Amino acid sequence: MLSLKIAARFLKSSPGQSALIIAGIAVGIATQIFVGSLITSLQADLIDAAVGSSPHITLLPGDSASTVPGTLATTASKSEPLVATAIPVRTLSAIYTSGEDSVPLSITGGDATDLGLIYKLEDRMVSGTYRLSAGEALVGTVFAEKYDVGAGDPLELLLPDGTMAEFTVSGVFDLGQATANERVAFVDAASAADALGIADEEYTAIQIQLTDVFASTEVADRLGNDNDVTAVDWQAENAELLSGLAAQSGSSIMIQVFVLIAVALGIASTLAISAVQKTRQIGILKAIGMGDGAAGRIFAWQAALLGAGGTLGGIALGYGLIWGFSFAPVPFSIRPEPTFIAISAGIGITVALLSSIIPARSTSRLDPIEVIQNG
Amino acid sequence: MADLLVVDAIGKVYGEGSAATRALADVSFTVAEGEFASIVGQSGSGKSTLLNLIGLLDTPTSGQVLFAGENTTALGRRGRARVRNEGLGFVFQFHYLLPEFSVWENLTMPAQIAGRTVSGEERDRALQTLALLGLEGLERKNANQLSGGQKQRVAIGRALMNRPRLILADEPTGNLDTANTEAVYGLFRTINAELGTTFLIVTHDRAVAQQTDRILEVRDGELVQDVRNDYAG
Repeated sequence: MLSLKIAARFLKSSPGQSALIIAGIAVGIATQIFVGSLITSLQADLIDAAVGSSPHITLLPGDSASTVPGTLATTASKSEPLVATAIPVRTLSAIYTSGEDSVPLSITGGDATDLGLIYKLEDRMVSGTYRLSAGEALVGTVFAEKYDVGAGDPLELLLPDGTMAEFTVSGVFDLGQATANERVAFVDAASAADALGIADEEYTAIQIQLTDVFASTEVADRLGNDNDVTAVDWQAENAELLSGLAAQSGSSIMIQVFVLIAVALGIASTLAISAVQKTRQIGILKAIGMGDGAAGRIFAWQAALLGAGGTLGGIALGYGLIWGFSFAPVPFSIRPEPTFIAISAGIGITVALLSSIIPARSTSRLDPIEVIQNG
Repeated sequence: MADLLVVDAIGKVYGEGSAATRALADVSFTVAEGEFASIVGQSGSGKSTLLNLIGLLDTPTSGQVLFAGENTTALGRRGRARVRNEGLGFVFQFHYLLPEFSVWENLTMPAQIAGRTVSGEERDRALQTLALLGLEGLERKNANQLSGGQKQRVAIGRALMNRPRLILADEPTGNLDTANTEAVYGLFRTINAELGTTFLIVTHDRAVAQQTDRILEVRDGELVQDVRNDYAG
């Protein structure tokens, strides 16, 4: 611990120099935390908007069947730990006609409670009641406005078999996407079964949400293979979004790496200067018996102290920047991830320690005679 | 008395080939435990080189140095650092105190390097050393706040801290006035008499050398004289 004591004293003897490098590290770590948290939150927001209220995996009947059993939802939940919600649904297409206008609607039939788990409909109702009793339907805001339909109004639909079915609108929802708000409608499970002409225990799809949206491809592969059904995952249908997110992540990582390199160079140059400034002291310490390892550790400790101080300052500054961002007029907020911040802190201290390698090695090799002879 | 130090045919050459400069050649002598000896010579004669080789601050090109029966020339860097810390004490012309540390911290640094906590017996020893050097009350002062004579006394105290068997002093009073010079040599004599510490003092000043019991003279890198001084003390 003598090396630590000497390191602390060396830093204390040059307070201006120490404060400057700690400030440099703090700015670097704060930038890393802010940029990392900003991109992570932005991506989480985009992903939530894209698939937060829709299925991550849809299990469709295999080649040899036209329906899937409702029990498959329970099977999927039990076999895959990443499955958060699995619900059986009946989907069909229908056409709504109003005067000379007609619009195709994508109908999803299911239990109101089940559908709420995937589509978060309860929170997305803008008028009427979130309820799907027999013969009731929920429609989107764009549809309701365009065709002047509201809660309590009748909704006549032309089914694929050419027959007409009549529903009563119980409420209007807003899924956050204009297309979905115009073309999607929900009806009760029994009415959908009647419209499709299938039995009570038969469904057209199982809709699944996962706890980790990016695990959808592998989970879909397993579920498809194990249950002889066709599994479609959201990633396969959103390749452009994913490549955009990947590019964003890549640029974020590049920024963070370059910031860390700048921090490392800052610490290394400061320690190199410090090593030259303290050559005499190191020579004296070696002359009176300090070993090469202990002498080298003085600079490792200096780096660790600078790294720790700078990192703590950086975390505080990073939180300050995130707090300041909360006042910016943007439609999302940055959520600092404790794990990411802990990793940033770890990286900060590790970079500081790595920066001390060169001065520590040159100090280890210093011969006391170089100092004694040269005064 | 047993030989504490055996210098066996050591030589030192700086540089290589046509640029080689011989600083020391085939020097041999022994020093017994408790001796109070000096090495004299003109500037550039090789006396400081000899002291640096004995003090394991430098390595000889040829020959060997045995300290307390151990062949120190064969030791690695770690072993040499250990011997410097435990067996030797250094006093240089310049005090070489650590300016970032207090008098007390400078004094006890060799003990801390040896891994000992400065408490109990160690603390008593440091206090005794301070008393012996007339530095009581200055413990908390920063090394930079002392006078030249005080700094050199702290450096002597630091050399004594681990109770070394041999103290190597290279022009220890070169930067001091007459009064401080006499005080320092008085201290050396007291330490030699009270603690039995062996002294080897490098000086170019024959008047200083006359105060030691034995005078070794180095000229052009060779030991040319080794005499007892019955008039010293």
